[in-house]
Amino acid sequence: MAARPTTPASPKNHKIKAPQQGQPVYGCEHIQRLFNQDQATTNTSIQHYKAILRCVFDTNPIISQTAKSLDGQIITSLTPTYLCLQCPSTLTDDDRQKHGSKKSHRFYVDSRDGALYCQMCDDIVWDPTFEDLRLRKLGTASFFTSRKRKHEELFSSADPLRDNPTYISANTTAVSCKANGLRGIYNAGATCYQNVVLQSFLHNPILRNFYLSDGHQSSSCETPHCLSCAMDDMFQDFYVQENTNGYTAANILSGFWISEKKAFENLVTTKEQDAHEFFQFLAEELHERNGDGKKPETGSEHSCNCIIHQIYYGKLQSTTTCQNCQGVTNQVQSFLDLSLPLENLGHKKGKKAPRPPKLTLQECLDEEYIKSDKCEYRCNNCSSMQQARRQTSIKRLPNVLSIQLKRFEYKQGRHERAAKIDTPVQFPLELNMLPYTSRAKGQDVRESFELARSCVYDLISVVVHVGEMDTGHYVSYCRVGDQVSSVFSPWRRRRERLTGGGGVGVCAKWFAFNDHKVELAQKSDVLNSRAYLLFYIVRSLS
Amino acid sequence: MSSETGETGKAGVIISPQNENPMDKFAHVVLDDVLYNLVHDLLMKVHRDEKMARANTAAIKVETLARNTMEGATTDPKPDVEVETDAAIYKDGKVTLKGNPLKTTKEIICPRCHLPRLVHPTDGKGAKKPEPGVVYCKKHPYVEKPGYDIYGQTWVAPGPGRGKKKKDQKLDPNDPSSPAPGLEGGAKDRPPNVLSFPSATCSKCKRCILVTRLNNHMGSCIGNSGRNASRAAAQKISNGNNAGGSQNNDNTPPGSQKGTPLPGSRAASPRKRDGDEFDEDADDSDAINQKKKKLKPNALTKKVILKAKSPATTGTHKKDKTKGSSMLHVEQKVDDDVKGSTVQVAPKKVSNAKGISPAKKIKLGPSKPPLPPPANKKGKRDRDMESESSGTLSSPPR
Repeated sequence: MAARPTTPASPKNHKIKAPQQGQPVYGCEHIQRLFNQDQATTNTSIQHYKAILRCVFDTNPIISQTAKSLDGQIITSLTPTYLCLQCPSTLTDDDRQKHGSKKSHRFYVDSRDGALYCQMCDDIVWDPTFEDLRLRKLGTASFFTSRKRKHEELFSSADPLRDNPTYISANTTAVSCKANGLRGIYNAGATCYQNVVLQSFLHNPILRNFYLSDGHQSSSCETPHCLSCAMDDMFQDFYVQENTNGYTAANILSGFWISEKKAFENLVTTKEQDAHEFFQFLAEELHERNGDGKKPETGSEHSCNCIIHQIYYGKLQSTTTCQNCQGVTNQVQSFLDLSLPLENLGHKKGKKAPRPPKLTLQECLDEEYIKSDKCEYRCNNCSSMQQARRQTSIKRLPNVLSIQLKRFEYKQGRHERAAKIDTPVQFPLELNMLPYTSRAKGQDVRESFELARSCVYDLISVVVHVGEMDTGHYVSYCRVGDQVSSVFSPWRRRRERLTGGGGVGVCAKWFAFNDHKVELAQKSDVLNSRAYLLFYIVRSLS
Repeated sequence: MSSETGETGKAGVIISPQNENPMDKFAHVVLDDVLYNLVHDLLMKVHRDEKMARANTAAIKVETLARNTMEGATTDPKPDVEVETDAAIYKDGKVTLKGNPLKTTKEIICPRCHLPRLVHPTDGKGAKKPEPGVVYCKKHPYVEKPGYDIYGQTWVAPGPGRGKKKKDQKLDPNDPSSPAPGLEGGAKDRPPNVLSFPSATCSKCKRCILVTRLNNHMGSCIGNSGRNASRAAAQKISNGNNAGGSQNNDNTPPGSQKGTPLPGSRAASPRKRDGDEFDEDADDSDAINQKKKKLKPNALTKKVILKAKSPATTGTHKKDKTKGSSMLHVEQKVDDDVKGSTVQVAPKKVSNAKGISPAKKIKLGPSKPPLPPPANKKGKRDRDMESESSGTLSSPPR
């Protein structure tokens, strides 16, 4: 209503989206008429739509959910209201018709998702111009592509020729519609721990875009047995080939065997291993192949522009406050994943309730990144060992957040052995990470909806360990399609446009990957699984 | 909070009972509204997918029609004609819609291959027979059928009669024949949707290995671990000498300077050290010096044989051989062996010889000669030497 932000007068003329082949120019005949009136109408329509989208997505939802009925009554509704595109009024479902006939305003925006309703069609219309704005808002938290993360600009296309659609069609062969990246990977003998991690990489849209836009070309790489080349080959096989049979990850496996990483020496055996360790191994190896060549040092602040760092690495900040002098020490370190212990929390909860403890992911995160713990530390001010409070929070969130639930632990005591914790942990499809960030500390972030929206993550894959410690098996679930942010990731280039996999326009589907076998999965299957690794992707690349 | 003041929310599904207290009624209304929102969001997504696909179909159809009306000139992506279908108008290279595509367009055409999309799966849950004679887009709806994957495929259960219980089949990391888990069904007569496990080529030894054994194979081939590795290696050493040692070479990780990390070399290396010590101790002995002289050309001869070059060097080789034969019968045999084997693997060995620094080769030479007179011990020593040298030769990566 009145709270809608005012649009600064812009001398720029807004343009409708250029006509594209295989797509109508307008969403319906009535939008066609609206846009063909004159430039002033087009300008105001687009400006209004932008303002409404800002109101819907970046402000307190109570504003867009509050409507004024025709008799002057103020109603706040849980269900969607309709914001008039042609005047600053918000209407309920019932009043929309009357408002339309009284004022001849025909277009309304849904307050839940910014979709455009045309009263004359009596239907939601998906106009290319408006829909582009809406997706941009959803995917990047702004209308402008230039406000991407700084480092990503390095990768954005600087070659106008290559982005020209005719150049693309002339120089590439269209990929079969069948190639969609959904294939199993054969178990080469106790390698399911690798398969699940590879699947989570394969269905990571940012990584996919990187490899499919020739981020690392195996044809021009000199390194023998390069794992990144093996990944490139695998991505090509999954997203370009028509094959639906399982994939044999022979090159990955041999690259893994040949690799001489000291830290992962134990991993290289013919025995079943920890998927999390393999994830770390693969991430570090790919970083070395694509990045600055420096070894990622754990425990320090390591910045790198490589694809792996841009996708998976975030930064943690631990603040230590001396209890004696109140001096504060900050320490920042990079992280590849968040490891959440389940043991203590499970016990704590177990004491209270007689039932077997049931945890939520948020509780585990609270324990690690909101609560503080006591520690001994040597204070510089006091020059002595002091009691201190240590508090860890996330300084920079990664684009893909990987979370490990520590289900395997080494039991000390008489019977020293590794044990598995089977405590169920509930995890959401949509995760808000704002409370765990450093920015959320010490300030009220309840009103910063734009900030909150940039911290929203969507679940993309889950790695599950089934069975016992030694004889278990790994399976995974991955989400395919409906990833708004992937459309705006900088690596989406020519080949991505030709390949079909995922992207907006397809309702998200979940798939269960069990080695070479791929099946459809229900959301309930995913959410009821005993997750070991969770991968969340940021909703909007802000 | 609800827009309604009645007994129910907007969805009208959750209805509070009569004479409920206001708070309970309110709770019912809120729950009903939340349900409405859930359905609303879900519907929006499906509606968007469907309507956009239909609108694009209408556009593709009218564009195709426009191109077809222009006689022959189908290469132009934007022909200058005006055509109209029930769903869309093509004019000035632009497509505009007529009416709601959900009503005007019934099928969905793939935007890439311009073939109609199949809307029902061909098998399993919700399956319908596709219309005969229609060529559909290759992107099919996914099959949901127990025991089959999303493409309606299934796999042949590996090897019957292995005496494996189902539990064992699940996972046995130590067993090289451990099959991939999750297999069901597997008809004997193999319809086309029943796949078998493929083989893959080992990137090191280029042999074809069944995929389920690949990890174990690589373990023994590259990583030199696994249950059978030591046994296989020992076997290779004992009878692999005549085969020119080329198989032994495979066990050396590329880039490793240590030579073959096999049990054989483990046995050899201490003795080599012994030899070195011996060498130092008896440095001024005449016999040693003589042999040293002899062995340098020996190393040379190897090269000569490989390259088959100047007659002059061959001469020294011959001379050397005759000289040596009087004292070292076995060692001469080594030469012969090398000669025989290099015929086959000559190019490889040449590159190998290049890869070794000359210093190392010379160092290798003297380690060999200090052979004490007893003949049987000599023989044993020589054998060690041979395995050693073949190991060193193999070290540069291929």
